[in-house]
Amino acid sequence: MPFISKDWRSPGETWVKTQEGWEKKKVLENCKTYTKISRGDSSEEENDPDTAIQPHCHITIKCTKEIAGFNELDEAVKRLDFRSAVRDVRRFNYICALLELLIGQQMTALSGCSQKALLAMLEEVASHATTSQYNPRGFRRLLGNLRALRSAERDACWGGPLGSQFLWHQHATKIERILNMAAEMQICEPSPDTRPKLLQLPEECIREIILRLSDHRDLTASAESCEQMAAIVSEQRIWKELVKFHFNQQQVELVLSKDNHTIDWKEVYHSLKKTFGINEERQYAEMLSLCRYCRCLFWRSLGHPCIADQCPEFRARIQEAGGASAPCPVPPSAFLKFFSL
Amino acid sequence: MSTLNTVKSPAMNVNFFAFAIMPNIKLQSSDGETFEIDVEIAKCSVTIKTMLEDLGMDEEEEEVVPLPNVNSAILRKVIQWATYHKDDPPPPEDDDNKEKRTDDISSWDADFLKVDQGTLFELILAANYLDIKGLLDVTCKTVANMIKGKAPEEIRKTFNIKNDFTPSEEEQVRKENEWCEEK
Repeated sequence: MPFISKDWRSPGETWVKTQEGWEKKKVLENCKTYTKISRGDSSEEENDPDTAIQPHCHITIKCTKEIAGFNELDEAVKRLDFRSAVRDVRRFNYICALLELLIGQQMTALSGCSQKALLAMLEEVASHATTSQYNPRGFRRLLGNLRALRSAERDACWGGPLGSQFLWHQHATKIERILNMAAEMQICEPSPDTRPKLLQLPEECIREIILRLSDHRDLTASAESCEQMAAIVSEQRIWKELVKFHFNQQQVELVLSKDNHTIDWKEVYHSLKKTFGINEERQYAEMLSLCRYCRCLFWRSLGHPCIADQCPEFRARIQEAGGASAPCPVPPSAFLKFFSL
Repeated sequence: MSTLNTVKSPAMNVNFFAFAIMPNIKLQSSDGETFEIDVEIAKCSVTIKTMLEDLGMDEEEEEVVPLPNVNSAILRKVIQWATYHKDDPPPPEDDDNKEKRTDDISSWDADFLKVDQGTLFELILAANYLDIKGLLDVTCKTVANMIKGKAPEEIRKTFNIKNDFTPSEEEQVRKENEWCEEK
């Protein structure tokens, strides 16, 4: 008897026309951002937020080169609803880090569909970053990559773009739009008579704020902005907390044992950073997670329809095996390894 | 489904009962407005909690707690925040990494804090005065997010800060930081 997978029996392979072009039905079922263009013969489907499936994406993990070819990046991007994740403050940084790894010269090698999905995501990031003025440094890095992409695409193949001319035109206008958006970005100032101002807060409140900065570049930038901030940033406690956040006890002891006399935590931080590098996983409030049972990528805060919840037998087997294990987090670089890039 | 119901309904009854006998407390803002709220909600402020314990307030007594450092607009927001978060589990003590993740703000809090800078800073002051750890944490994170990724000039612009460095001082600070960066 031939093996018929679930996917085969479901109508998932049907193509549906959306505002952004044709898309397979199975991809559409868990993303809300794509609105279907209704045609006479197609049955209407509701996009109720309550009944909508949580964004998730099944993936083949034991990855060989051949299998990776079946994990399609654009499909994952759409299924995991990356575009609305951009608007979520908890996931924004993760998306930026992912885009930073993807966008650039190497993007010319991706499929046209993936390129389109990525640029659409970048446009979403751009519009969010310019309106909220959130993390301009990360955004500028993305723009640098984007310029590299533009020049690479222009002469990808004998001085002309590779692939569909029409698609490339669309990309070019999109890139232009993003760069324009970035050029027009301005930091808006609060009206001069708002009270209280940042520096009018008591020192302990400003210290609380500065203690929450997890990037040393933000600390030095705030130190360079005015004397009062510089005084607070130069305190040992700030740097000590920063060291405690990024490095564990053993790492710290390794560096400390070298010179025992007076500890300058700022120097300790920089030498630790040089020796061990910054831990990628600590940077993000939320990462994509991989369920160990159904091999499914999902956002932890949103959850996913898991085989362990649906099937009591399976749950019993998990209990026998020693209880459920937590889903494993997927940092951006690990995410990309699932695909043939 | 039925088992769920039998488990749930007595618990709800208890809740309802507790709510009925739950004493209220009156808080008075600096501009004279009084707010009557649940004592349990008011107790998320350590300042009010210790005040109540020290005074040993009775349920019978209709006493008004004056809060001379908080105006009514801000107090209303603080109460709104405290009411929403009243059932939150206490934060785990060991996870000291959490407070540095500036983007770890729940979507309700993020929406709640979409206010102008003046209000945001007044909320920080109120949270600091009333000693509400959760509110102070989330407001400070919001401000830290406004600093994140910006150049010194952009930070000055965002918060309307005047550059009080002399050019030579500025040069010196920058050099010092560059040196650290390269090392």
